[in-house]
Amino acid sequence: MSTDVADVLIIGAGASGGVAAKHLAENGFGVVVLEQGDWVNQSDLPGLRPEYELLGAGPWHPNPNVRQRPEDYPINLEDSSAVIGMFNGVGGSTVLYASCWCRAKPSDFRVRTLDGVADDWPLTYEELEPFYRQVEFELGISGKGGNPAYPPGYDPPLPSLPINMSGRVMAEGMNRLGWHWWPGYNSIASQDHRHQKRCERYGVCMYGCPQGAKGSTDVALFPDALAHGARVVTGARVARITLDENGLANGAVYFQDGQEKFQPAKLVLIGANGIGTPRLLLMSASSQHPDGLANSSGLVGKRFMTHPFGTSVGLYEDDLEDWVGPTGEAIESMQFYETDASRGFVRGSKWHIIPNAGRPLGMINRFTLGEGGVADEPFWGESFTERMKSSVGHMIEWMIMPDDLPEEHNRITLDDSMTDSDGLPAAKVAYVTGENTRRLVDWNLQRSLEAHEAAGATKAWITNRNNPSWHNMGTAKMGDDPATSVVNRWGRTHDVPNLYVIDGSQFPTATGVNPTATICALAKRTATYLVENRREQEVSTA
Amino acid sequence: MSITNVTIQPAAAPALTPQERERLALLADRLIAGGAGLPSASGAEVHTQWIDRAMAVRADLDGAVRAVLALEGDPAEVVERLQAEDPALFGSFAMAVAGAYLINPRIRRELGYPGPAPMKNAALPDEAESYLEDGILDVVVARGPIYRPTPA
Repeated sequence: MSTDVADVLIIGAGASGGVAAKHLAENGFGVVVLEQGDWVNQSDLPGLRPEYELLGAGPWHPNPNVRQRPEDYPINLEDSSAVIGMFNGVGGSTVLYASCWCRAKPSDFRVRTLDGVADDWPLTYEELEPFYRQVEFELGISGKGGNPAYPPGYDPPLPSLPINMSGRVMAEGMNRLGWHWWPGYNSIASQDHRHQKRCERYGVCMYGCPQGAKGSTDVALFPDALAHGARVVTGARVARITLDENGLANGAVYFQDGQEKFQPAKLVLIGANGIGTPRLLLMSASSQHPDGLANSSGLVGKRFMTHPFGTSVGLYEDDLEDWVGPTGEAIESMQFYETDASRGFVRGSKWHIIPNAGRPLGMINRFTLGEGGVADEPFWGESFTERMKSSVGHMIEWMIMPDDLPEEHNRITLDDSMTDSDGLPAAKVAYVTGENTRRLVDWNLQRSLEAHEAAGATKAWITNRNNPSWHNMGTAKMGDDPATSVVNRWGRTHDVPNLYVIDGSQFPTATGVNPTATICALAKRTATYLVENRREQEVSTA
Repeated sequence: MSITNVTIQPAAAPALTPQERERLALLADRLIAGGAGLPSASGAEVHTQWIDRAMAVRADLDGAVRAVLALEGDPAEVVERLQAEDPALFGSFAMAVAGAYLINPRIRRELGYPGPAPMKNAALPDEAESYLEDGILDVVVARGPIYRPTPA
C-alpha cells in the first residue's frame, strides 16, 4: 500500500481520466489513477481471430452483465428499457468503442433558450471549442474540414479516412435528396500520429484495435501520463471517497485483491462516467452527507440519459466490400439535427453509416427482428445461406443517434441486494425512453428508409428502435445553481470544493451525437483550469 | 490478473461424443440447410470441427448446445418446437451453430471475405480523396451552413 499523498487522485482510467492524467502529469502534478480493471494487451484483443465475433458477444461484450469479468460491477436493469454498455480497464470504453468522434453543436448548449426544453449548459460551444481542438490532436482525429453543419474552424488534425464504397453509394443517394452528408470523423489515425499507428482498416474497431490506430486513451494518452510520473493502479475498485475534518476530499478507500486500502490525495477527480460516478458518490454517503457525497441538490444519479439509437439497413446489388474498416463513421449526416417543431418533437439526430459486414452474426438480428414483415420471412433452414450471401458485403446500415432529454425519474441508484465481487452495491438503472426521444427516433428512421431508396437499395427496413448505446450521461449535472446541479461549470462539485467530476455525468443534456469528444473536451477544460488556478485551489492537507 | 486468463479459457466441459456430433449434424442442418453456393452446416463440418472452436471461446454456450442435443424426436420438429417454445434456448443454440459455421475459412471465402480472419487493407495514398475528387461534396458545401449558432 502506498501512503504517498497524490496531488491529484483520478478515479477511473477511461476517456476523461486519460485526458486529465496526461494534462496534469505534464504540468507537474503528482497523479495517481485508480482503475478497477487492468491494462489491455493488444495481443489479447479478439479482432484478429476467426472467432472474434463470438468473443465480442461473450467475454468482450460491452454489457458488463454479459461479460462478467471480475472487475465488472453488475448492473440491475430490471427497471430499464435501455441496455447498458461500458468497459472497465485502462482506456475504459474507448478500448471497445467505434471511435465515432462527434463534436456537439452550438445549439446543444442552448436547448432551453432555443427550444424551450431541459436546461442550457453553463458554457457555450465557443468556450469548449479550444479544448475540442486540443484533444482532437492528442487523440489523433481524422476528418475533413469545412463541414457546413458546424461553425468554421472544425479542422481535424489528420486527413479523412476513405468513405469506402458504402459511404460513396449513400452519399450519392443523399445528394439526390439534397440532404446533408459529410465524410465521417473518427478518433482513428489515418497516418502515424504520436503513439497511434496508421489505420490498416481491419474493420474490427469495436473489438479493440489490434493495430493501435484507435485513439483509445490507453494507447494515445496514458503513455504520456506515465512518462511524466503518473501512477496507474489497476485492479483497484474504489469503495468510497473520504473527507477530512474540513469537509475536503482527502483520498479514497479501495479494494485490491480483496484487501481494503487507502490512497490519500489533496484533490480528487472522478471519471467513472454516468453510472460509475453516481454509484461512487452514493456509496460515499456519510454522517456529513447522508444522501451521498456532493448530493445536496438531490440530483446525484438523476437525469440519466443514454442514446437509445435506431438502425435501418438496405440491401444493394453491388458488392460494397464493407468489411473494409474502419468500423467508425464512413459518412455522417446532420440534415435533421436542428429542431423543426413541425416534425412533432424537438431536437434532432446525427446519422452515420457504420460498416456491418465485419459482424456477420449480427445479420441474425437484422433479419429476424426486422420490421416491415422481414422478421416474418424465413431466415433459418434453406434461407440462411441465401440471406447471408445477399447481405454480407451488400448491406448499408444507418445509425440514428437521438438527442435524449433529461427526466429525473431516469436515474441510477444503489441496488438493495446485488453486489460486486468486493461486496459493494451494484448500480440499479431506472430508465424509460422519453416520448420526445421515441418520436425523434421513429421520424428519423422513416427518413433513413428514404435515403436507402434514393441510394438504390433493392430493399430496406428498420432493424431496431432501441439499440444500446454505451453512452451514459447526465447523473451529476453541471450548472451554476447549487440547488439544481451537482457540479459547477468547471466540474467542481458545489458541496466539496476539491472534488471534481470530469466525465459524461456532467452533461445537462445528452446532445444528439456520440459523447466521447465532449467528455474529453470537458476533462481537458477542467484539467487546464486546475493548472491555471493551482494557487487558488483549496486542497486537503489531512 | 491478466485479461488473457479471462478471455480465452478452453471449454471446461468434455468434448462432444460421436453420438452427440451426429445429432448436432442433424439439428444444425435444420438451421443451415445450404444453398446459394454454400454448404449446409454439416457440409461445413460444424459438428466435427468448428463447434469445438466456437465453444472453446464461448463456454457459456455449452449448456445450451448440450440441452438441445438431448432433446429427442425428429430434428425438424425439435428445432421448430424449440424456436416456438423456448426462444432464448433456440437463440443460444443458433448462435453457437451459426458462429461455428461462419468461422470456417471456406465459408468466409464463399461469402467474399478476403481472408480467414480480419485482414489488413491499408488505404492507398490518395484513396480518401479518390471518393470525393469528382466534386460530390460540392453541392453540400454550396447549400451553406445548416447549424444554429449560439444565440447572442
